[in-house]
Amino acid sequence: MSRAWRTFAIGVLIAVLVIALIPWVWMLLTSFKTRLDALADVPVWLFKPTFEHYPTVFLDKGYLPLVWNSILVASVTTALSLFFGVPAAYVFARHDFRGKEDLFFFFLTTRMAPPISVVVPMFLLFTMLGITDTPLAVILAHSTFNLSLVVWMMRGFFADIPREIDEAALMDGHSRFGMFARVLVPLAAPGLAATAVLCFILSWNEFLYAFVLVAFEGRTLTVGIPGLVTPHGTLWGQVAAVAIVATLPIIVFSIFVQKHLVRGLTFGAVKG
Amino acid sequence: MTRRGITGALFDRGVAPLLLVPAVLLLVVILLGPFLYMTWTSLTDLSFAIPDRDGNFLGFDNYRRLMREDAIFWHSFGLTMKFVAIVVTIEFLLGFAIALLIFRFVERRRLVLTLLLVPMMLAPVAVGLIWKLLLQGDFGMVTYYLRAIGLLDLRDAVLSNADSILPAIMLIDAWQWTPFVTLVMLAGLLSLPREPFEAAVMDGARPLQIFRDVTLPLLRPIIALVLLLRAIDAFKEFDKIFILTGGGPGTATELLSIYVYRLNFKNWDLGYGASAAFMIYLVVLILCAVFYKAVYWREGRPIKVAR
Amino acid sequence: MGVRFRQVRKVFPDGTVALDNFSLQFETGEFVVLLGPSGSGKTTACRILAGLEEATGGAVEVDGRDITHLPPRERGMSMVFQNYALYAHKSVFDNIAYPLKVRSTPRGERERKVRDIAAMLRIDELLKRRPRELSGGQAQRVAVARALVWDPKICLMDEPLSNLDALLRLHTRTELKRLHADLGRTFVFVTHDQEEAMTLGTRIAVMSEGRLVQFDSPRNVYHRPVTRFVAEFIGRPAMNTVDGSVRNGLFRAGVIEINADGLPDGPSTLGIRPEHLVVHETAGEGRIPLEVDVVELVEPDTLLFLRGEEVSFVSRVLRDGGDIAPKTTVHVEIPVKYRHWFDASTGIRIDSGTQP
Repeated sequence: MSRAWRTFAIGVLIAVLVIALIPWVWMLLTSFKTRLDALADVPVWLFKPTFEHYPTVFLDKGYLPLVWNSILVASVTTALSLFFGVPAAYVFARHDFRGKEDLFFFFLTTRMAPPISVVVPMFLLFTMLGITDTPLAVILAHSTFNLSLVVWMMRGFFADIPREIDEAALMDGHSRFGMFARVLVPLAAPGLAATAVLCFILSWNEFLYAFVLVAFEGRTLTVGIPGLVTPHGTLWGQVAAVAIVATLPIIVFSIFVQKHLVRGLTFGAVKG
Repeated sequence: MTRRGITGALFDRGVAPLLLVPAVLLLVVILLGPFLYMTWTSLTDLSFAIPDRDGNFLGFDNYRRLMREDAIFWHSFGLTMKFVAIVVTIEFLLGFAIALLIFRFVERRRLVLTLLLVPMMLAPVAVGLIWKLLLQGDFGMVTYYLRAIGLLDLRDAVLSNADSILPAIMLIDAWQWTPFVTLVMLAGLLSLPREPFEAAVMDGARPLQIFRDVTLPLLRPIIALVLLLRAIDAFKEFDKIFILTGGGPGTATELLSIYVYRLNFKNWDLGYGASAAFMIYLVVLILCAVFYKAVYWREGRPIKVAR
Repeated sequence: MGVRFRQVRKVFPDGTVALDNFSLQFETGEFVVLLGPSGSGKTTACRILAGLEEATGGAVEVDGRDITHLPPRERGMSMVFQNYALYAHKSVFDNIAYPLKVRSTPRGERERKVRDIAAMLRIDELLKRRPRELSGGQAQRVAVARALVWDPKICLMDEPLSNLDALLRLHTRTELKRLHADLGRTFVFVTHDQEEAMTLGTRIAVMSEGRLVQFDSPRNVYHRPVTRFVAEFIGRPAMNTVDGSVRNGLFRAGVIEINADGLPDGPSTLGIRPEHLVVHETAGEGRIPLEVDVVELVEPDTLLFLRGEEVSFVSRVLRDGGDIAPKTTVHVEIPVKYRHWFDASTGIRIDSGTQP
């Protein structure tokens, strides 16, 4: 009985995994298919691969700069969010002041803010500042949710460190800044790394802000995707190549942060 | 102190809360400012399409029009509510069931989880694109197999049929986010203490009774958290629909965020669009407050699932 | 009839052998204490009896019936857990009523039984509270009430007192003993605290490294320990043991030289409980001169830490020894009838015929 249950359960889980993975795998296959194979009436699973789509779309059609933009935006956003967010998280974890929890709630609302609601005035503001169509605009926009993510996640990681560590560091002769920089931050390093990777992923995957704020020069990969789909004659091989480049690094990254993923995506509320 | 500069000084002088200032300042300028400006705009007739509507103050006219006269807004609102309710229900039930299976039957969970996580890590735009390919009318892989097993009419295509398009988008969202529910619920299950279960066993409870009387009550905070987070996210859904259908055919898939996008970027009716955008913000804000009060507890530490 | 472990073996997935050829038999109505240091397998034995762990080998019988593979629900046993394992989301009443509820006891009877047991444990004022509103002692009573409310054949307790503070522990101990006398149920009680074991058990099963070492009344475990391990584990301060050797009926170890009639030649171990040492201020026949190292007052007694060449003793003087100063010399007598002898290599008791 329990053996039959077990077999049944494993079967179901395998089916679930297949359903979860096949769509992306299909995209991967398509990126190596000739136009003929890609458009075949009957789905083609085995075929002679072609490697032309990647060079064509990234070199000839000029999608390579989009990759650089995505990397640039995601990296700088991450750095910026950590630089401002980590000290803020430390303050939330270790200091009490009036209105602390209200301010913390403010950070939550900025993390959750629907982009569609603020992207228009943000666009107007950036136009005023003259930074639309530059990576800086997207970096600032992405910092709104990533900064809050850092504050929320890192507060939890700092709170996990016993306060006795602070006191021991001070007794050992560190200044308060030394205690923070030399003792607490290294202790929170695994969490910090996970937070950084998650920031990077969220920025890399973001679409609406980037789509509205940059039109040409600062375009990121996600923004480049809709332009590839045309009502007639979409070149699916090339589309797939872009989609794969836009997703593969993220899949690899997510393996690294898997352990802290739950915590990051639940705003630190659940330990993974 | 001089060597460590201002940051060091702030740490040492016991005015550490000032370290929050840059973070808060950035958010105020980049986010709160635009939000307040939008709130102001929503009280005006600002439009980039009609010449003399350059921001005259209207009071609450836009909201009045939105509430009383705008059938499309209410259509979108209803659609969004339907979308959120159905999607969150499917994702929760499925995700929880899968989590229970993994919890009960899989010892080496890491590999299973890594594979399962792929959909939720993909950029939503890429998800939209992938499914657009899979659901193409004449050569889509999923279309082909749906027709092969008789679930789809030969002349039909999922993406252009007004009846099947919304369910399809819901299923795609479920495809992407069910793993999230699984991941969180599994973390919840794994964090449960062993003792209450052993106590229930010793008290003579049967497996279903244990699930009802011990597992579910202990998981309640996590269940609430998952439902709220998914609801907030589903409410904001934009990317996938934007690339899959753009809100069409007609307004069949025009959720609130798509409608607001159309008001602002197709009609360039910024004042009116702002009032609709404000409504989205309001709903999200309310859900956030519920999340914060009901689920998250103070001190920034993860919730204790048990005890 | 009662309970019987037959050569039970338990190996955990990580390879740890928790129980090795463990056999034990006791009768209905006993208060059996499983006593041993951590890692001795006492908790595992208890959990195997409960059905929470499955034995790797051997069998467990209750009233002559093999229950080795029976699910816990069908064993008719209840358990009090170390951290009480109360259901945090249920009221005290519902916690206690839960075993009745899952057994479909009618509502009226359920109510009556819960009130009865609650009155017995004097927690009837707390029935509406939640577990987190209880003190440690109250939570412990609720756990006991839940374990006894449905009249199980056997009540298992896994270190139920270890989370209480010292005074409360003493008090609860007495109550458990009274409860056992009143109810006449079989109690199986796991602990690492030898004092708890001595006061509670009708019989004590002393365990070490997954095996049963001795199963006997508290009195016999104390006065006739079957191994050096039991001798040293039971009693505080621990029994003094001296390694030495016997030749021609004479035991020698450093300054000690005493009669050991009937013992075989070769190395052996002498044991003497601190309270059985007789301390004199003057020298005499068979008295060993030792230097007083430290004096500790444990009112009403005094502990003397004594040192001599190659040996050291603790003595419990049953009087006010405040007049004995450190660094002075006392003369110690080891009465024949209180001497314990153990084999030096196996630690097994040697009965030389000199004991009472």
